[in-house]
Amino acid sequence: MKRRIEVGLLYSRSGSYSLISEACRTGALAAIAMVNADPRLDIHLVPVERDPAGNVDLYGPLCGEILGETSARHVVGCVTSWSRKEVIPTVEKFGGTLWYAVPYEGFEASDHVVYTHACPNQHLLPLLDWAMTSRGRRAYLAASNYIWGWELNRLAREVLTSSSGEVLAERYLPIGSPDVDRMIAEVRFSRPDFILNSLIGPSSYAFMAAYHELGRADAHFRPETCPVLSCNMTECEFPALGDHARGLVAAGPYFRGVSGWPGGASFGSSHEAAAFAAVRELARLLAHRPGAETESLTRLLASDQGRAGVIDPETHHTTLPVIIAEARDGAFHVLQHLGSVAGDPYLTRSRSAAAAQPTLRVVS
Amino acid sequence: MRRPIRTQNLGGARALILHRPHPTVQALTRQLTAIGLEVEPVWSELGPEALGADFLFFDADMGHAGQFPWPEGSPPMPMVALVGSEAPGRIEWTLKTGAHAHLLKPVGDNGAYAALLIARAAFDAERALAAEIAGLRRRLDERQTVVLAVSKLAARGRSEADAYAQLRQMAMAWRITFEEAAARIVGRTTDEEGEHDRRGRG
Repeated sequence: MKRRIEVGLLYSRSGSYSLISEACRTGALAAIAMVNADPRLDIHLVPVERDPAGNVDLYGPLCGEILGETSARHVVGCVTSWSRKEVIPTVEKFGGTLWYAVPYEGFEASDHVVYTHACPNQHLLPLLDWAMTSRGRRAYLAASNYIWGWELNRLAREVLTSSSGEVLAERYLPIGSPDVDRMIAEVRFSRPDFILNSLIGPSSYAFMAAYHELGRADAHFRPETCPVLSCNMTECEFPALGDHARGLVAAGPYFRGVSGWPGGASFGSSHEAAAFAAVRELARLLAHRPGAETESLTRLLASDQGRAGVIDPETHHTTLPVIIAEARDGAFHVLQHLGSVAGDPYLTRSRSAAAAQPTLRVVS
Repeated sequence: MRRPIRTQNLGGARALILHRPHPTVQALTRQLTAIGLEVEPVWSELGPEALGADFLFFDADMGHAGQFPWPEGSPPMPMVALVGSEAPGRIEWTLKTGAHAHLLKPVGDNGAYAALLIARAAFDAERALAAEIAGLRRRLDERQTVVLAVSKLAARGRSEADAYAQLRQMAMAWRITFEEAAARIVGRTTDEEGEHDRRGRG
């Protein structure tokens, strides 16, 4: 006899980042189906879905609806950092838990959130190491105008300047804006060694298309000499990018077809994989412990199952593979596999080689 | 901010929490441990080991001046006040301690990281300003030496304006402050009058 446990799903099924939401949702639902079909597990998960439709102001209230009006204590959801910050006070108020399956900018370790995708020591820092070693140290930073882009660019600037690199410009577009002409013109004149693209949704698609055109006009702007780097682009956005993704270099914990993901399954993208892993880990924490569904995250992680799991009880981040891959012919091809790295949200437990390099100055 | 915030050197830093045993201490410990600090709760007196701490969080509600083993208002590390009661008397005492930032009680899920960065920035700024003020004070104290040096140089037949300009030139050539150059001139002419040659010095 399986225990029936409700689990919240809070993903936008429309709006500027719906491709990512759909990938996460697919992964979560696949894991739920797998748990429910597994006769060895004594739990049956019932998804309770709410759709904020890309409206950031709906995340808090809809999360409140899930936690307040149903028996769900755990919510898998949110794509943008902005929406996550909106939801945290709500999960804190209800004593619930948010399972967040998207790469983010770090510098957070909420008692009520589990982070199952990468943070900067698992994406940005290794990606910059790769770029500085293989392409150069002059960077153009482009991002959407909110916390993800701000913090990635701040970190990139810190790493680049401490490694004698140079930030040629740091530019932002409002979320959803396709007005990339100014950025492309600046890139053309500043001739960087690489571009860090932390734009999201339509802005990113427009940028990649325009940059592809620029590469046709001027050979410097081709992937071999001036690649575009991203910590948030995965296969789930290939349908919107088409051939413009060619040469994009991304960092992530998983790329389609790469083996070694904990649990061993295969997925369409790392978003799907991380949401899948979130639900699988939640199921592992709840299985065979009647009553566990009402326990707080802290209690769950202190249990025998919790101690044996992948979630760091101090930071609630996870140990993930770190992979640098290049998009070619509609798929990512691995350039570097750096093994598994524990999430270090405050960059206090580990340091990348680039970040650890001392700054030398001429003393006069 | 005058400088960009550096985030990568909090790992392994030591934080003391001067507060009676309380859920606030647990919540704050959880936050600081997640950030990567080593945390030690202390109550009710700070021992000499406090001097080795990198940050001090202290209870602004039940605290008193006698708890800190340093002159009032000049802590040797960044201090963060844990404020529960907002009574003006408590705030006044908190200000007297020289706290660099505060966190409101009850402490919950967040706030510690911002408090750490703000407290450290304020502490660094305070240190830099204190050093700058001490330097300026030293130079002010040397006004008399400058007057003496200018008049010594002027005594050799120059105008006071020329003597002043010459002293400035000397300071630049020797790469020392104006006041140090003045002290050297005063010292040397005194030595010459005493028929001692100590030009090798300096």
